[in-house]
Amino acid sequence: MKLLLPTLLVSASVLMPAQVRLPEFTREQLPNGAVLLMLPRHDVPLVSVRAVFRGGAESEPPGKNGIAAITAELMRRGAGKRSAARIDLDLDFLGAELSAGANRQSAFFALEFLSRTAPEAMAILGDILAAPAFPEDEVRKVLAQAADRVRAAKDNPGMAVGRYFNGLFYPAGHPYRHSGAADEISVARLSREEILTYYRRMATGKNLILIAVGDFNPASFAALARRAASSLPPGAAFQTPQAGELRFERPRLLLVDKPDATQTYFRIGMPGIHRRHPDRVALLVANTLFGGRFTSLLNDTLRVNAGLTYGANSILELDRLPGAIAINSYTPTATTAKAIDLALDVLRRFATSGATAEQLESARAYIKGNFPTERLETSDQLCSALADLELFGLDRSDIDSFFPQLDSLTVESLNAAIRRHFTESNLQFCLVGNASAIEKDVAKYAVARKVVSVKSEGFVPPEI
Amino acid sequence: MVQVSEHTLSNGMKILIHEDHDVPNVAFYLFFKVGSRNERPGVTGISHFFEHMMFNGAKKYGPKQFDIQMEKAGGRNNAYTSRDVTVYTDWFPRSALELMFDMEADRIRDLSFDPKIVESERGVVSSERRTSVDNSPFGVLFEQLNATAYVAHPYQWPVIGWASDIESWTMDDLKAHYRMGYAPNNCVAVVSGDVTPAEVLALAKKYLEPIPRQEPPPPVRTVEPPQLGERRVEVRRPANLPMLMLSYHIGAARDPDFPVYEVIETLLTGGRSARLHQRLVEKEQLVLNVGGGVRPSLDPGQFLFNFQVRSGRQPAEVEKALYEELDRLSRETVPAEELQKSRNQILAGFYRQLKTIAGKANLVGSYEVFSGSWNQVNEAPARIEKVTAADVQRVAAKVFAPRNRTVATLIPEQRAEVKP
Repeated sequence: MKLLLPTLLVSASVLMPAQVRLPEFTREQLPNGAVLLMLPRHDVPLVSVRAVFRGGAESEPPGKNGIAAITAELMRRGAGKRSAARIDLDLDFLGAELSAGANRQSAFFALEFLSRTAPEAMAILGDILAAPAFPEDEVRKVLAQAADRVRAAKDNPGMAVGRYFNGLFYPAGHPYRHSGAADEISVARLSREEILTYYRRMATGKNLILIAVGDFNPASFAALARRAASSLPPGAAFQTPQAGELRFERPRLLLVDKPDATQTYFRIGMPGIHRRHPDRVALLVANTLFGGRFTSLLNDTLRVNAGLTYGANSILELDRLPGAIAINSYTPTATTAKAIDLALDVLRRFATSGATAEQLESARAYIKGNFPTERLETSDQLCSALADLELFGLDRSDIDSFFPQLDSLTVESLNAAIRRHFTESNLQFCLVGNASAIEKDVAKYAVARKVVSVKSEGFVPPEI
Repeated sequence: MVQVSEHTLSNGMKILIHEDHDVPNVAFYLFFKVGSRNERPGVTGISHFFEHMMFNGAKKYGPKQFDIQMEKAGGRNNAYTSRDVTVYTDWFPRSALELMFDMEADRIRDLSFDPKIVESERGVVSSERRTSVDNSPFGVLFEQLNATAYVAHPYQWPVIGWASDIESWTMDDLKAHYRMGYAPNNCVAVVSGDVTPAEVLALAKKYLEPIPRQEPPPPVRTVEPPQLGERRVEVRRPANLPMLMLSYHIGAARDPDFPVYEVIETLLTGGRSARLHQRLVEKEQLVLNVGGGVRPSLDPGQFLFNFQVRSGRQPAEVEKALYEELDRLSRETVPAEELQKSRNQILAGFYRQLKTIAGKANLVGSYEVFSGSWNQVNEAPARIEKVTAADVQRVAAKVFAPRNRTVATLIPEQRAEVKP
């Protein structure tokens, strides 16, 4: 086999599939405005269904952060003729799994069931979408649980650091400041009335994207899906908010004091891009090299060479509005400044020197090699891929042309993108740890800084 | 049905191959039958530490090369260590198949031990321990629960190891562990994905078969003596919410009652309609969530429960309600419909594990190691079907006896008394 290949084709990356394609799917708009996407495939006897309402964090009224996810959770707690307990019981009896939640741009229901139970499962989903009852006692229960989840998150610094970072990084009024997560303050403000009003505004035909991937017969399943979607009123389509460019005039530092922490968890951010930005493919490569895989510069420096942490990575947010590029790691309290210094050193070198042709080649192969199992292998992954296309206004070429776009990326254009987006100036630092032990050492990173106690309410610091 | 082609190399290594051409990728899982149960006091955690060392260079592929070459070829890897096994997991495009066989064989046969790298990796593992145990209420409490539930058997120490052992194991300890655990005849290799059995077998013969057979780890002799009464342990530390965990001794994976444990697990904790979720989370609102259940193990294991207690509620209230539910299971016959619901849930969960080539590799390898044959995968649904209401009642009465339980509570304290 190998002998038949031209001798030029020696590197593994060249042997990889030159192209991946999204499997064929159908798209149909229902009379109430809902969009129905269907992709049949028959590897295991399961069907994945995703009901997505546009909106999410971007649709939350000021001070009511968390309402999108809480509304989604409550929709499954009593709908049509079924009580909350009845829905749980009926879904479990079918072997189905349902999760409900919200992210920055949508609220979603992810349902997976055995193929032969499709009529029952889709009938329950239809009720949840169009006929939720919002029983008073369930509302009280869910709000109280949400408040306790915030308390539990603050017991885990690794979980809390991301939320504090958003509170620092995004300005007042920006929908990503809370990113759809509730806190003690917003939970206390929510009422059944408000949740009902929010539901009526957002759960409309024009906001709904219904996606099914898996083991079904398209003709008979389409009837079930149409029935589940079509009892929603058309309503008004959600008008997505605009947000100004993220720009920082100076470095800032938020230190969240958790006196019993034996490690410092840190996230350091700079302005990044949105999902449709022309630099996306270049920055996916850049992020892979910087902190997106095990051999990345950050992990190699902080973990492999220095032994300062179990892991160091970088995050490239890709949402509808521009997000962050952030360094993320943790280290024992005593080595806090040492680890941050090393991370900043890696950033400085990357921002100024960029990547080599060899690094580009390696990152390209890594992204292509992992893409099929990360995005296209399971029905739930395909549901996510299809949901992204609709939510971000993309078409199938987003996936079908992904490999050609990677292939055509040159080291010059990669480095130009790195220079445009990676910067060592005006960084935003968020640290969770033992403040009295590290405060002096980290003062050098920013003149503008504040210390807050993990016990104070919410995740948004006072203005820094 | 999961189809597997099974082969044993002349050095005793078992090769299991599953073809699946849905995506042009491969999952390669190597199960070494060595874990924290094969350790002793003073070197606890060394199996897990060794898992890290396997990425730090061998004879042909030096330090960092395993990851560099693999990622450059479009692959990704990880590994995990448990009480019973150390498993290396490689995911890659089919074009990297031969490279992976070459690199795996290199590190199984000729790992190098650089003192500088050992020291740096010690820091990495200490940080892992700080994150997964010291800075996690769950981690701290779980460690104390196990240290109390087992008094003799090695399952009493944490897989990651006690902090003092992580600080002090030596080069000789590491080399001895390598010799003990990494014999080819102590390994089951599973290849799942876009491959043919013929090509995989040819590569296995070329790269893995020349590795000489060695003595496998000595048998674990200690048998945990029967528990003679309830045991309790408390952890006091700063926290917003209390936490409660319980452990009951049960049999090992090959215990004929294991399918019954799985059905009981589902009745109590599977999905939102499960008995404990409905009572503790929804009706009495004592806890935020219910966790736990059973996992297959080589030696007798545990039926675990864990609860994040709600603010203003006491762990004792949760205990009382839990004991009533466990009692009810042994006193009253489970209604036929509820039993059928559990079977449906287990069957659907089984299919969910078959969705990916990685899931199939893990499932096939786990059945081979824990149940004695990969083919048990295909019998799993029938075994669950056979579990009766009488089985549930009999096993619940035996397992959930008060004298068989260990209870661990995390009590929030306002002041930090923990020294870093």
